[in-house]
Amino acid sequence: MGTLEGLTFGFANALTVQNLLWALLGTTLGTAIGVLPGIGPALTVAVLLPVTFGLDPVSAFIMFGGIYYGAMYGGSTTSILLNTPGETGAIATAIDGHQMALRGRGAAALTTAALGSFVAGTLATLALAFFAPALASVALEFGPAEYFALALLAFSAVTALLGASLARGLFSLFVGLTLGLVGIDQLTGQARFSFGIPQLLDGIDVVILVIGLFAVGETLHQAASRRRDEPAPVQLTSFMSMSRDDWRRSWKAWLRGTAIGFPLGVLPMGGSVIPTFLSYFAEKRFSTTPEEFGHGAIEGVAGPEAANNASTAGVLVPLLTLGVPSSATAAILLAAFQQYGLQPGPLLFSSRPDLVWTLIASLLIGNVMLLVLNLPLVGIWARVMLLPRPLLFGVVLVLASLGVYSLNRSLLDVGLLYAVGALGLAMRVLDVPLVPAVLGLVLGPMAEQQFRRAVAISEGDLSVFVTRPISAALLAAAALALLAPPLLKRWRRFRHE
Amino acid sequence: MCAASKGDRIRSSNVLCVALLALATLTASNAPAQPLFEELRLIAPAAPGGGWDQTARVMQQVLQRERIVTTPVVENIPGAAGTIGLARFVGAERGNGDVLLVSGLIMLGGIVTYDSPVTLADAVPIARLTGEYEALAVPASSPFRTLEDLLTAFRADPESISWGGGSVGGSDQILAGLIAAAVEVEPRRVNYIGYSGGGEALGAVLGGQVSVGINGLAEFAAQIDAGALRVLAISSGERLPGVDAPTLRERGVDVEFENWRSILAPPGITPAERARLAATVDAMVRSSEWREMLARYRWLDRYLAGDEFAAFATAEERRVRTVLRELGASAASGEASAFDPYAALVLAGLVFFGVAAGVSLVRRPNRPRRLEGLAWRPLALIGAGAAVYVLLADSLGFIGAAALLFWLVARAFDARHPARDLAVALGVAVCAYALFDYALDLPLPAGVLGAWL
Repeated sequence: MGTLEGLTFGFANALTVQNLLWALLGTTLGTAIGVLPGIGPALTVAVLLPVTFGLDPVSAFIMFGGIYYGAMYGGSTTSILLNTPGETGAIATAIDGHQMALRGRGAAALTTAALGSFVAGTLATLALAFFAPALASVALEFGPAEYFALALLAFSAVTALLGASLARGLFSLFVGLTLGLVGIDQLTGQARFSFGIPQLLDGIDVVILVIGLFAVGETLHQAASRRRDEPAPVQLTSFMSMSRDDWRRSWKAWLRGTAIGFPLGVLPMGGSVIPTFLSYFAEKRFSTTPEEFGHGAIEGVAGPEAANNASTAGVLVPLLTLGVPSSATAAILLAAFQQYGLQPGPLLFSSRPDLVWTLIASLLIGNVMLLVLNLPLVGIWARVMLLPRPLLFGVVLVLASLGVYSLNRSLLDVGLLYAVGALGLAMRVLDVPLVPAVLGLVLGPMAEQQFRRAVAISEGDLSVFVTRPISAALLAAAALALLAPPLLKRWRRFRHE
Repeated sequence: MCAASKGDRIRSSNVLCVALLALATLTASNAPAQPLFEELRLIAPAAPGGGWDQTARVMQQVLQRERIVTTPVVENIPGAAGTIGLARFVGAERGNGDVLLVSGLIMLGGIVTYDSPVTLADAVPIARLTGEYEALAVPASSPFRTLEDLLTAFRADPESISWGGGSVGGSDQILAGLIAAAVEVEPRRVNYIGYSGGGEALGAVLGGQVSVGINGLAEFAAQIDAGALRVLAISSGERLPGVDAPTLRERGVDVEFENWRSILAPPGITPAERARLAATVDAMVRSSEWREMLARYRWLDRYLAGDEFAAFATAEERRVRTVLRELGASAASGEASAFDPYAALVLAGLVFFGVAAGVSLVRRPNRPRRLEGLAWRPLALIGAGAAVYVLLADSLGFIGAAALLFWLVARAFDARHPARDLAVALGVAVCAYALFDYALDLPLPAGVLGAWL
């Protein structure tokens, strides 16, 4: 079956009342869990698995697809309005999104996030339909050396996020790297810095760090600094949505975000941290007004949100074509396929074209539903900010504690959450940026593991990093990203003189 | 979770289930018998998606559909090859007669590798359930056409062959060690590349990043059928129907190996409770539904109950310990931790930039104002709320702990309506409890209110 033929067939199948209802149920559920901190699509699909056993697999996957896409839409809401991202993919959005909200432009931020998610989700799903097998074979070319190079490239994005002081920014990065040391070393099985506490053997969950630093830290900071300079309550001067200028600045960012997010989603390295921050980095570097970033630049919301959704679709490429799950949710979806006696892999497109094409078609339909669902919600969410702050932050902390508890069903994790929250408060007070710490925790272990894996495979030969073409190109890009901006600055100064 | 019979416990009113049941057309089950348990918890000591989680969820399905248990519930406690789940199970579930833990060979590997103080012997053995054979596979383009090709290269220069598989200390590495020992190569020289999940390892094998992949046969199945992977050997005793590959033994490597999974009960239960749990598992494995599941997941029926299973597990533990020691997997080899250059670099960086950041702060003109601006009373109130939550959630129950946390946070923000806040706090806590416990089916501590929920 050709791609167009397949899509036509898929739409014919998906556009039944029953399947549309499943898609609606999935997208609604997904949006809801996206808003809750700590609860992700992986857990939701896992909980629903036994319930859906009696269903036709096509219906079940339409719903799961809706949950998966929907969760990425919901994630930006709390980031923008409360500066409390509940998952890693929404951190980059919080930086400028919350600044926009503080300036009364929360509705515009939410709108560009929803539209960007829609544009990216649609384009990326189409790319999945047309290019999945070809992309999957490129992804297989990525070995440990390439992943290491990619991690270094992502580290260079930290330079866009260091804040006012180089020393404090790098300190924050090293705090994250240090936290990343905790736990079992994947290559030797040796426990590091776990101090005999079994719960630490698996390392510090990045979700705890994110919710602790942002949600709990922000709450503590607002509670404690309220007296001194009564911060302007987050009021929205108008509920007006995006202006003409906002549109002009957003659409390119959506496309760039999609172009960055989708290929990175295809690579099995899990997580939306790298795509979203590389997108943020790209937006800031290519912007004509980089000084606006960190103070409510709309591109800083539009780009990462698009990258987040595009990478979500990218994850489906290796899952469907190779049976390789590259994120927690993809692992559950794989288990769901197996529950129905289906084996994703090279043969799935030919053995069950009905399922694959109906799934892809319903993902496209689900995207439209999510847009229709989320745009009216913008006004409602924006009004949530007008709730009395004691109640608002009470809800934030109750949900944060619950979400973290549900990760491992461990109260120790909740204790850790508040310890991290206290750290977040200290960092805020001392003007140490938070984001480099998160990047350090995510990228540090990845860079270290892949480096050692590459060296183990090459039997200690370090030249693999430069003799493999993709790895060499990525390392060159990382060097360029680090060195080009200061050199350019110098060059401009030199020309002016 | 979606029990169909009327008058069941409250969990069947799970709102998602109701919504789904309204839409779904469930097939009618066979004749109901008297269930052995109203509610039975199945703990998977791994994240959703892996082999143990699948085992638990398949058990959940079978137990429920065969009406052996009215409401089976799956809980995940992931981490460290199942040893975190095992430690929590042995500690927190002591004496509970209504809970089972999924376990298996990989947990033994974890116990040895991470030097876990808790072992399988600390729990009550119920039964071994399933087994899975392992396969050695290479991408279709690999120069290794047969097992002999691979082993010749391996003998000539052991380190040049990289073996890609699951986590260090797991079944894949154990098999690699057994093969090395069988062909008289020192197991310590196996260049084993551990990946954290089956998916990651599969990608590395397909892309030719490692010389040979070693994994469960089921994980490779789709790729084998598609011709993307070539199986060099399987670890079974006899050739398997539908798999065009020799056994290890057939090619002169005297190793037979399978990755088994089992079920444990907590310590401190009465003989009657143990008998009831064993009867439940026994009824499950005898059902036609279970047979069907074994075929679907390509699991081998390895049912072995009670003391025979206990004896088997002890023998396996000895074998795993020996192999891992020979492989030099850290804690098992008893070596002191070596100098770790990466960790040293990171810690040095932390100290250096910590000092630099301190200097930059001291030099800053507006430093004192920021610190003085902090109000300590709200922080103390929130800290108290957090402490109450962490320390009392188990005994007080979630609703009480969350309501107190909410109320203290509201106090911290200086709300002038303590009574109103308390009412809102209770409302929020009850809603959150309902959302997580019933809608999302994540059990929360019920505490003193447990009897009413």
